[in-house]
Amino acid sequence: MSPLIRMRLAGFLRGGRILPPAIAVLIVLGVIYGGGASPASVAYGYSAAALFPVLAWQSKLLLDTEPDGQRRLARVAVGARTEAVAGLLAAAALALIVCVLAMGAPWLFHGIDTKEPVLSGTLLGVLAHLLAVPPAIAVGALASRAVTRGARNGVAVLVTAAVLVVVLGLQGSFAPWLVPPVMATARALNDVTIPPVTTLALLTGWAAAWCAAVFTAYAFLRRSRS
Amino acid sequence: MRFDGVWFRYARRADWTLRAVDAAVEPGQTIVVLGRNGAGKSTLLQLAAGVLRPQRGAVRERPPVVGWVPERFPADQPFTAGDYLHRMAALRGHDPGQADEWIERLLLTGHTGTRLSDLSKGTAQKVGLAQALIARPGLLILDEPWEGLDAVARTLIPEIVAEVTATGGMVLVSDHRGEIAQLPGAIHWSVADATVAAAPAPPAPARDEVVIEIAVARAAADEAVVRLRAQGHAVLGVRDVTGPRPDARYHPGATNARNAAAGSWNSEGEQ
Repeated sequence: MSPLIRMRLAGFLRGGRILPPAIAVLIVLGVIYGGGASPASVAYGYSAAALFPVLAWQSKLLLDTEPDGQRRLARVAVGARTEAVAGLLAAAALALIVCVLAMGAPWLFHGIDTKEPVLSGTLLGVLAHLLAVPPAIAVGALASRAVTRGARNGVAVLVTAAVLVVVLGLQGSFAPWLVPPVMATARALNDVTIPPVTTLALLTGWAAAWCAAVFTAYAFLRRSRS
Repeated sequence: MRFDGVWFRYARRADWTLRAVDAAVEPGQTIVVLGRNGAGKSTLLQLAAGVLRPQRGAVRERPPVVGWVPERFPADQPFTAGDYLHRMAALRGHDPGQADEWIERLLLTGHTGTRLSDLSKGTAQKVGLAQALIARPGLLILDEPWEGLDAVARTLIPEIVAEVTATGGMVLVSDHRGEIAQLPGAIHWSVADATVAAAPAPPAPARDEVVIEIAVARAAADEAVVRLRAQGHAVLGVRDVTGPRPDARYHPGATNARNAAAGSWNSEGEQ
């Protein structure tokens, strides 16, 4: 599987399609850290929420880089399941690299307030990013051309999902469970005090259940859509 | 491999492209799929390859290693031809160097550093052919393989098909250019009205022929093959010649062409 992951990452990087999401990441980081230093947990909580739509878009772009014909050749070469999983893992590898860079960036610009707890805040930030990456990949996968079969449908799925994650994720939402807990995680981290373990466990379970449902839907759709 | 009651359509409300297809391919067989444009030849081949999944029925007993040459090679990729083929070999779990054999054989050596998107249509098609052959497929599927290929490469296809079937492999090939005469012994399927039926093989031409071996400068090989074909001759193969060329002796007194041909490369005959 790893040669296919490497091939897809190489295609994405060499083709230059990484540039638009990379610029979007820089803009997001500029907005978050441009206003001065914040406690680590607060800064990273917002960073994970703000990166969510960018990571979803980046995942869709990565999955769409390969021409349809090449995706089908890969399917013949390695089998349908491995081909689909390799795409998701390539998107995950890239998203994790972006998250590491995004978490390192504020240290260059003094964006983290070191008077507040740094270690616990950073660990919470890692958790927040880890809770944002799989749902972002799931949304990007559902919006990819292999599923939506057209650019217009793909953009519609991506934009709708990104808007719903914010709207349904607001406090007092009537159906927060319909979307991954990206906003809920940011809210839980919006304080220098460490949230209770039960809250973190609930957020993790929520994200895992949501991702399981969406990845199952993706697997089902990809059975008949090559 | 069997098509077991296979039904396929491209969209829920679309007409069936293929209906209740029951057919079988035995090891060592070559199947030529015939049919007009849009009849469903490519669909049938993609179902065989596992690229498409039937809505009803199933394709059973498909060999584990499948090589699929699509009608159009997806050349819009940021790799050179050599890099691409090495990566495709690795994808199949082989040493990347295994692609080199096919790079040489399909005369792609001079194009390994060229980006896929800069290749000519025929050369890109050869790359598509090479990627399918790297893994020694038990099922080789060729969708209009002659499209855009030069004369030398065209003569390679019957050779490759014969090699796959000789080892018990199966070959499915679609063709609308009438090149099928180069695949002797092939079984013909006809796709029409969303069904697949065995088609009678075109009558074999009466054979009263001789084989003449001709050495041609490598640079002129393409042109020579095309001209010979244009004159109605069957080009059976193109191969490299090493060592000094033997003297050819033609027997003007021979009573028939067969005798003449038999002695045409006789370098030790007459003193």
